[in-house]
Amino acid sequence: MISVLDFMIAPFIACILLIIITSYFGIHVIEREIIFIDIALAQIAAFGSAVSLVINKLGISPHEDIHEHDSRTFLAYVFCLIAAGLFTLLKNKRIKIPLEALIGIAYAVATTAAVIILDKGAGSDVHIHDMLVGSILWVSWHQIIRLLIVVTVIGGFHFIFRDKFKGITLLYQGKESNTTRPKLWDFIFYFTFGIVIVEAVYVGGILTVFAFLIIPASTSALFSTRWSRRVLTAILIGCISTILGLYLSWVMDIPCSPAIILFLAVSLFISIIIKALLKLKTH
Amino acid sequence: MIDTLKFLAAPITLTILMAGILSYFGNHILSRGIIFIDIAVAQIAALGTMIGLLLGYAEESLNVQLISYAFTIIVISIFALTKFHKQVIPQEAIIGIIYCIGLGIALLLAERIPGGSNFISKTITGNLLWVTWGKVLECFVIFLVIGIIHLVFWKHFILISGTRNGLPYSLWRTRFYELIFYITFSIIIVKAVPGGGVFLIFTLLIAPASAATLFTDSWKKRFIWSWIIGTLGSITGIYLSYTLNISNAPAIVTLLGLVVFILAFIKLTARKLSLNNKNQAV
Repeated sequence: MISVLDFMIAPFIACILLIIITSYFGIHVIEREIIFIDIALAQIAAFGSAVSLVINKLGISPHEDIHEHDSRTFLAYVFCLIAAGLFTLLKNKRIKIPLEALIGIAYAVATTAAVIILDKGAGSDVHIHDMLVGSILWVSWHQIIRLLIVVTVIGGFHFIFRDKFKGITLLYQGKESNTTRPKLWDFIFYFTFGIVIVEAVYVGGILTVFAFLIIPASTSALFSTRWSRRVLTAILIGCISTILGLYLSWVMDIPCSPAIILFLAVSLFISIIIKALLKLKTH
Repeated sequence: MIDTLKFLAAPITLTILMAGILSYFGNHILSRGIIFIDIAVAQIAALGTMIGLLLGYAEESLNVQLISYAFTIIVISIFALTKFHKQVIPQEAIIGIIYCIGLGIALLLAERIPGGSNFISKTITGNLLWVTWGKVLECFVIFLVIGIIHLVFWKHFILISGTRNGLPYSLWRTRFYELIFYITFSIIIVKAVPGGGVFLIFTLLIAPASAATLFTDSWKKRFIWSWIIGTLGSITGIYLSYTLNISNAPAIVTLLGLVVFILAFIKLTARKLSLNNKNQAV
């Protein structure tokens, strides 16, 4: 039993950190109806890494002394910054198409452009598999501390200015809001979100982060419209599913990300049933 | 040159066929705001194929295809029934959840099937160049039948897609039309994805319709313009991929995608310029 705890404690802490930040961002994402933004941003960041890989290979990089990994993360952030600017600019009343469509197109272009640049076919399925599921089981303490810093800084920033960000999300729903300088705050939202996604995907993989973002926030939407209650419900659901998922993956020897996702799905279905029962009672 | 044309004739024909039917559906998808539905449907279909394989049937056998279709239609029917008077969770979020769970289960099953992870990545790229004329004809017949079904229900589909708040008909009548819409849609996606790959299908759905919607509100104009943009984009993309020696699906995707972003910025700046001119005139 001790060995299970030893082995699982780092992945567990990493998952909890991820859940805390994604539960909050998930509600923004659902309310704005930009569901697939995280997959798009992750792919755009990966495209940035691919570009820096090609630049390094061509030998025209001006910063040869920089560690290769650092320059890859650096370009990934630069691409996220550009994408944040793009989405902020294009969220405009004159653009009559939903922002989600532009996010989707950006996603498709980033993915296929990366394929064109790297011009590779062989072994790409292994790469895709790794990128999707990640390797949260093998997360190192170094990664966890880095994640903790990101979560604290960005989480704290969003907590301090929570009313501004809520106001922007109200604007997305076509409601009135008294946030001044909405464009600036919208840009800050996408950029901080992009940083969180890059770091989170680095630890947990695209699919896990996507599940943490969407499913708990959707479940909490069934029970409340108040932000504080929704965030807490989402964190609670996420934690229970993580514990059960990690335990199941240990007992049955299956990959842990899909196991966690299955429990998140189960919690959603149970919540739908509870909601239906509550409705019957009140009628 | 003649040889190249012969070689590219079948892929080009298939792309034009797909551009035709997909840009029609794209306008509906866009108005409903359920952008990622085709990726979710493709994932569910892949999962259906994997279930068929697990049951012991050979790959590409009729049984596996039938199981895949049946499974996809069941899941998409459940999705069609999630339409309510008052939507608590947006439908796009439900699509995200379906995609996520589908991919999660597929990853679990992939461990049990030899070469299983191939199935997850196979659908992403597609094999446009190796399309045969038989396959083109098959797609043509299916697209034609579904096109006729949509002509019959034309008005109802447009009315449902155009209504953002509430439902235009009674709950169950709307859900009946929704069922027909989503089942025909998923048949097309399941048919088209192995040929073109998820990203080409996704772009042919969303990009031409987005480009058209930027400039007009009328459904008829949107359909016609997205057809023109989709077909032109596909042909130019295939030509570019041939001359620049890159794969054709990524070439079409990048071309059409960039066109939409450029058009969106033109729309933004053009509006600003005309406003400035007006201000100066005043």
